[in-house]
Amino acid sequence: MIKIVVPHIHKIEGEAGFWAEVSREGKIEKLRLQTLLGLRQIEGILIGRRAEEVPIVVSRICGICPVVHILNASRALEIALDIKPSLLTSLLRRLLLAAQIIQSHTLHLFFLTLPDFFDIESDLDLMRRFKKEAKAALKIRDFSLKITRVVGGRTVHPMRPRIGGFSKLPTEEEVKKLLQGFDEVYDAALFLIGTFQNLSYTSLQRKTNFVSLSSKKEYSFYQGEYIFTPQLFSIGDFYSNKIEEDLKRPPVKRVKHLGKPYMLGAIARINNNQNFLSAESKENFKLFLKNHNLTSEEFFKNSFHNLFCQIIEVLHFLREIEKLIKEILRQDFKEKPSKLEIQRGSGLSAMEAPRGTLFTYFEIDENGRILDCDIVTPTAQFLNNLEEDLKVYLGSLLQVSPDERTRKIRALIRAYDPCISCATH
Amino acid sequence: MKRKPKIAIFSLTSCEGCQFVLLDLGEKFFKFLEKVELAQCSLLEEEPLRCDLFDIAFVEGNPITKKDFKTLKEVREKAKILVSLGNCATLGGIPEMKNYQSKERTIRFIYKEINNIDNPEIKEIDNFVKVDYSIPGCPINGEEFLRIANELIKGKIPKIPQKPVCSECPLSGTKDCLLRKKEPCLGPITLAGCDAICPKSSVICYGCRGILNNINPKNFIKFLNKMRSQEEIEENIEIFGIKDDIKKFL
Repeated sequence: MIKIVVPHIHKIEGEAGFWAEVSREGKIEKLRLQTLLGLRQIEGILIGRRAEEVPIVVSRICGICPVVHILNASRALEIALDIKPSLLTSLLRRLLLAAQIIQSHTLHLFFLTLPDFFDIESDLDLMRRFKKEAKAALKIRDFSLKITRVVGGRTVHPMRPRIGGFSKLPTEEEVKKLLQGFDEVYDAALFLIGTFQNLSYTSLQRKTNFVSLSSKKEYSFYQGEYIFTPQLFSIGDFYSNKIEEDLKRPPVKRVKHLGKPYMLGAIARINNNQNFLSAESKENFKLFLKNHNLTSEEFFKNSFHNLFCQIIEVLHFLREIEKLIKEILRQDFKEKPSKLEIQRGSGLSAMEAPRGTLFTYFEIDENGRILDCDIVTPTAQFLNNLEEDLKVYLGSLLQVSPDERTRKIRALIRAYDPCISCATH
Repeated sequence: MKRKPKIAIFSLTSCEGCQFVLLDLGEKFFKFLEKVELAQCSLLEEEPLRCDLFDIAFVEGNPITKKDFKTLKEVREKAKILVSLGNCATLGGIPEMKNYQSKERTIRFIYKEINNIDNPEIKEIDNFVKVDYSIPGCPINGEEFLRIANELIKGKIPKIPQKPVCSECPLSGTKDCLLRKKEPCLGPITLAGCDAICPKSSVICYGCRGILNNINPKNFIKFLNKMRSQEEIEENIEIFGIKDDIKKFL
């Protein structure tokens, strides 16, 4: 029996380790991915607390994607309390979420995974060698961070979004200014997509199910009409009856869909909803298939392509942001946040986080205190799929040197962009 | 030429938000990194340079797993200066809220089988190792980090002036002051340095930077108790781990 161990995988959000046992005949007997963070017990902490505290607390689940935790929890509670947020609130929230996805993807693509393609282990080396790319990535990131700062109040743990709306709205002037320099930012994204078009991606082929929000009208992210798997389920039915959380492997409640692993995130969204991508994103996707001589089916069987899907989404969501800002500027900025009227109730909300569909469920009592809470994060949902991919991939790595094998295992794990803070919370 | 100071950034169990604040500084942060040797940072480096001694180590998060406790101890042994980074490491943070809930209730809500899960009482890292300096806040203020880190590199002793959040708050003394509107804002007893970022967004201060070390908050808490129920005020001070510090005075 050969043991293959990668004790620490860095450069992901949080930390993880990898263990596998392979027989002399090359059969993978055991393989597991272990998260290396403690359990902070966020869901338990919230029981008995006041509904208003929820956005503050859930934000702290994750320092890279706090926005989606805040927005999804707020909406679940709004459903429970029968509150309908205004159009302006919905538009500003969409803007925040689109900016969040861009921010997270650019960080992941440039700082966490690009070095894998060149066997560079330090970002500082990477920035020296790829000055132009570094500049482009930082430019796009700064653009999205500015949106979060202006609309949310700050980039990490924004405090303005709350149940019902915002504690304070940006001024019209501030929103107008957000579009300054947009063309340059978009050009930077086009430049970066060129870089990712021409990388050589490791080949891997494994069929899986892709799960995401979907809609008949748009490229779903903030709101979806149903869950696409590729069967269609209502969000409530999927969450209540079609997935199960495994409590046997704390501190992560891993999830299966009808007993099987599944994939989420950029690659799943593009697989499910590519018709709604922006024109240039679609073109770039087609160009990639052509350049790499791949059929669409082959493309989606390779999880390494999640990286290219992320840069496609960066381009798509930049256009989305441009549209949203123009629409926001047509609204009246004078609304006041609605007062919370407490009542008993429950609510489920699903939203696309950078890494995939996030489900948030809350139940509150007649005093506005939390009775029940469940937060199902994308990483908890795709860890099983990642293990299945690793089993297939490891089979092809048995002949390479241990160092190279370690690098490659890490690269596949990073291609998924796992967020261990979210997975454990 | 003088050698560059070796610095390291460690994350215990946390959201890693304080590290992201640094990355969000963009160019400014990378300029700062040119002045130092980044000996360890799990977010930016795959293989840490093996190194026996750090000039300055920054630690964010809470010790929860056995590995967290081990890391914390090792960092202390290797670091000339240890700085706690952010509210969790400095004051216990959001995870400390569970200390105020009855034992095992919180974790039993999540898992039925709890024997193999690390579930220690949440404590500030200075309960386990000596902490030389603290950079407070949830999350930290990036500009303040740069100022303090630069002072430490130059061998100066960094100080955060003991002034309340109100001293930086543009609403202070105006009719829009949240306290005047009967909102239980903790600005008057909380350490400034955040630029009153929450009150400026019409959100009350929950004291994430900790209470001033030269005041007795007793009368202010009494004042808040007249405004809102005692229960509400108690709950507010549980959110960012300052209840234990305030209780000492009550």
